[in-house]
Amino acid sequence: MTDPFVLAALLAWGTLVGLDLVSVAQSMIARPVVAGAVAGMLLGDPAAGFRVGVLLELFALDVLPIGAARYPDYGPATVAAAAVAAGSPWELSLGLAGTVGLLVSVVGGWSLQQLRRRNAEAVQRHTAALAAGESAAIRRLQYGGIARDTLRSALLTAVGLLAAWAAARVLVLDRRTAIALTLVLVGAGLAAALGGALRGAGRSRRRRWLAAGLVLGFALAVLR
Amino acid sequence: MNGRGRALLRLFAVQGVWNYERMLGVGLGYAAEPLLEDLKIADPVRHSEAVVRSAEFFNCNPNLAGLALGATVRAEYDAEPGTQVVRLRSALCSPLGALGDQLFWAGLLPGLVGATLAALVLGAAGRAIVAFLVAYNLVRVWTAVWALRTGLASGMAVGRAIGASWIPKAVPLVGNAAGLLVGFALPLVATWYLRPFGLLSGFSVGLVVAAGVAAGRLFGARMTGSRFALAAVLVTLLFRLVTR
Repeated sequence: MTDPFVLAALLAWGTLVGLDLVSVAQSMIARPVVAGAVAGMLLGDPAAGFRVGVLLELFALDVLPIGAARYPDYGPATVAAAAVAAGSPWELSLGLAGTVGLLVSVVGGWSLQQLRRRNAEAVQRHTAALAAGESAAIRRLQYGGIARDTLRSALLTAVGLLAAWAAARVLVLDRRTAIALTLVLVGAGLAAALGGALRGAGRSRRRRWLAAGLVLGFALAVLR
Repeated sequence: MNGRGRALLRLFAVQGVWNYERMLGVGLGYAAEPLLEDLKIADPVRHSEAVVRSAEFFNCNPNLAGLALGATVRAEYDAEPGTQVVRLRSALCSPLGALGDQLFWAGLLPGLVGATLAALVLGAAGRAIVAFLVAYNLVRVWTAVWALRTGLASGMAVGRAIGASWIPKAVPLVGNAAGLLVGFALPLVATWYLRPFGLLSGFSVGLVVAAGVAAGRLFGARMTGSRFALAAVLVTLLFRLVTR
């Protein structure tokens, strides 16, 4: 991860996925499964990217990004987590990588709140121009908002990569603790996804479809 | 590119300046700008008023924002009273928010993610991710084109057009499919992770899953998946520290 070209590529990718979450495109490259796969490829360890991406995707399935709700930013967080996991056996590194990813995603959620406040302040500063029907003011606000989110995403990715570097250097876990962390995070991720699916299903017919899916999935898992 | 094409492109950045003051409002005003250009020549006063209205408070699911954009722009060209345009805009917030959130955030997205996770752990790897991105973006781009076109064609009657459209019918179908696909993916993902650790690990992970789901039911929205996970990590680290 110390290769400057890899670092620059990770920073660029993290910034892109941070922007994709809300401001521009929402093409879903910000989903952990996508962000992790590409980060893994950039790091030369696609398998680690998949493992980390799928783990954080389980947590992302618990989130409904509705309106003004506060939700974590898993895109740049997954890039940081992939940086922790790359180059090590995933059984030992996934727990620490996932923990770094979750912490960065929480910081990302906080940074989104700050961004929305800064955007609101910018709108307040342009109230007179908006009331006068100035199209230029609308464009200025729009480009300003996107620029702020670009900066936010880049900073969040940089903080995440710094945390990944620190975690890999400072936190040396013994084998049993590392495996315990991996298992705990896999369990917590499955709980988050299942909890989110149950909440989304409510008491509707969808709950029966969820149960049918679980039965089919179990059957296939046993048969394989 | 004509005004409609530029407005469509701008709709993909409709949340570019999302804020607590006007939410999607300014982004919708930005997307409306190319569509209102003809009004500038025909009726400059009306154009100026329309620009003001276009950037006022608005919120809905971004994937269906084109319906509101098209309908309000058409209403401006039809010279509907300004108060009516404002009322139309306000009235569209809730239905477009609810329908769009159910269709995209609670239906299509988790459904496709579930299918992607299942395909990935069954060995499709990168192809599963490419297929996910292509499938999702085909649907949302097609929806954006349809939404803008329908809004522009319907104007003040957009509510009726939405009610008669494919959206209300698709919501329960997509929701059921999402339930099935997420349910299908979870046991496959669990075995993908747990296979190297043996049967006993499955039992302990099962306990964590049960505790996580129970905590979510007990504490509601306060106990998010990531909060539970971080608490569980902390407990694990303390336990390992004590028992080492």
